[in-house]
Amino acid sequence: MNAPEQRRLLPTDRLTYSAIAERAPLKLPDGARMVVWVIVNVEEWDATQPMPRTVLTPPAGGSPSPDVPNWAWHEYGNRVGFWRMLEVFDAFQIPGVLAINGSAIAAYRPIVDAAIKRNWEFIGHGFTQRNMQKVADERADIRKTAAAIAEATGARPRGRLGPGLTETWETPDLLIEEGYDYVCDWVLDDQPVWLKTRTRPIVNVPYTQECNDVAMMLIQHHKASEYRDRALDQFEQIYADAKDSARVMALVLHPYIMGAPHRLKYFREAIDAIRRRPDVLFWTGAQILDWFVCSNPSP
Amino acid sequence: MADHMIPRERCEFSAIVDRPPLKLPGGARLVLWSIVNYEVWDIARPMARQVIPAPTGQPLLPDVPNWSWHEYGMRVGAWRFFDLFERLGIRPTLATNARVCEDYPRVAEQAKRDGWEFMGHAYDQMPIHRHDDQAGMINKSMDILERFTGKRPVGWLGPGLTQTLDTPELLVAAGVKYIGDWVYDDEPTTIRTANGSLVTLPYTVELNDIPMMIVQHHESDYLLKRAIDQFDRLYAEGKERAKIMALAIHPYISGQPHRIKYLEAIYDYVNRFEGVLHWNGAEILDWYQSARARKAAA
Repeated sequence: MNAPEQRRLLPTDRLTYSAIAERAPLKLPDGARMVVWVIVNVEEWDATQPMPRTVLTPPAGGSPSPDVPNWAWHEYGNRVGFWRMLEVFDAFQIPGVLAINGSAIAAYRPIVDAAIKRNWEFIGHGFTQRNMQKVADERADIRKTAAAIAEATGARPRGRLGPGLTETWETPDLLIEEGYDYVCDWVLDDQPVWLKTRTRPIVNVPYTQECNDVAMMLIQHHKASEYRDRALDQFEQIYADAKDSARVMALVLHPYIMGAPHRLKYFREAIDAIRRRPDVLFWTGAQILDWFVCSNPSP
Repeated sequence: MADHMIPRERCEFSAIVDRPPLKLPGGARLVLWSIVNYEVWDIARPMARQVIPAPTGQPLLPDVPNWSWHEYGMRVGAWRFFDLFERLGIRPTLATNARVCEDYPRVAEQAKRDGWEFMGHAYDQMPIHRHDDQAGMINKSMDILERFTGKRPVGWLGPGLTQTLDTPELLVAAGVKYIGDWVYDDEPTTIRTANGSLVTLPYTVELNDIPMMIVQHHESDYLLKRAIDQFDRLYAEGKERAKIMALAIHPYISGQPHRIKYLEAIYDYVNRFEGVLHWNGAEILDWYQSARARKAAA
């Protein structure tokens, strides 16, 4: 029932190089120039495992387990931070995209309900927050997550983001076989692209490691205001670039990072500034997908 | 070792918006909980933190430069803290290694004289996982602090907030009433242990000079900026429900000459607002337990 074994597809086998300036222009409805999509990542961190990220290292280093302080720091995002972020989505009437671990569906039901109530798009994430290269049965993990989302929301997810954007060589093949329509791990363009798989092609919707609070706050250690400043710099450039052909900008946030009291306002200020521009659409990933496929059908 | 509860088994998930708000007395909006950390870094072991790794990055012993960088905090930086809190009339929580009472009696005496709350913080500064007899270390630490101050501490903070899965049981058995290790909420919560319940108070790894200055390498003035941003948000939210803002500082970091003015400026800023209480952990615990008792009686 699974696809036949084939040789491994390298990224360059999945798509050929293409310069953005040399493509046929993409056009959005009603003269809009660009699309912004905002992805909230809700994860469950297993207290018995090493934590995916840490804010505090133990005295004299090392990584003693269990790591309760960093577990608790992440848990804050789901107990408190998410609800603060929600106010921004409500105030500016923007659709959210929830990238959620399959296991988090049961663990954080109030978050799931709040997202359903607002008609957010649910996209698959790992079943747990662990690198896909370390997941024993990737197909089962992808399938279980889709089933958990379908059960909670009544609809199967169409998009998926790897945990930490991680993929194996096989991930795009498995995703299309398991009924997903798009992936967002490939941060290689400002426009959606088609990726070949061993069966039918799958779309990649532009996600970001640049306007992403994990990279900015936990790895690069920027001040909180840099989230706003970078988002607006990114926005102004993409807006200018999109004069003749539409582009997509992603904004990524995590409740335990941008949901901290001292950071939230910089997310709000970024959204506030972008929302004032009349020719910018706030869409979900599925809306971007449907629009793109309409003018660029599967090759 | 028997199976111990994982954090999720100690307390159900709860979204803050689904709880009835807690209210502070007199219409106050926010408690500023100041926590000073005094520690002993044993020269025979690797240092708890390093401001400068050895050339080529090798961990070498003894690590005199980083030991003395920390020692500066006890010799000099701590006295900037004592001056500040005396001037403001604030009695902060002192998370202190019990060994501070033995190695730095002058410092511990000053904190006692100034009426600071002593909070258990292990015997000396190493991850709690490395103790073969954790229960013994916890009891010894609590006993030393009780003998020194005449009162058994009610609070506990793990060194670097570290815990093993059974730490909450051991702490309750030793007489601890609240911990700061669970930074998972803006409000106090109650968690289960096999020896009875334990309160968590919202300590912080966000407004804390170790992650900010030593891990994330922010500039000195960013402590003030982040504190103002944190305060503004929590103060606004404090209109609807009581908020606790923790501020965690270490004398070898925030007690440095180039950083102390930003710490002082935080207090200048928040004291311009009505409805801000300066409470230590024991006072927050008393308020929370009274609120719970009233709720149970209702």
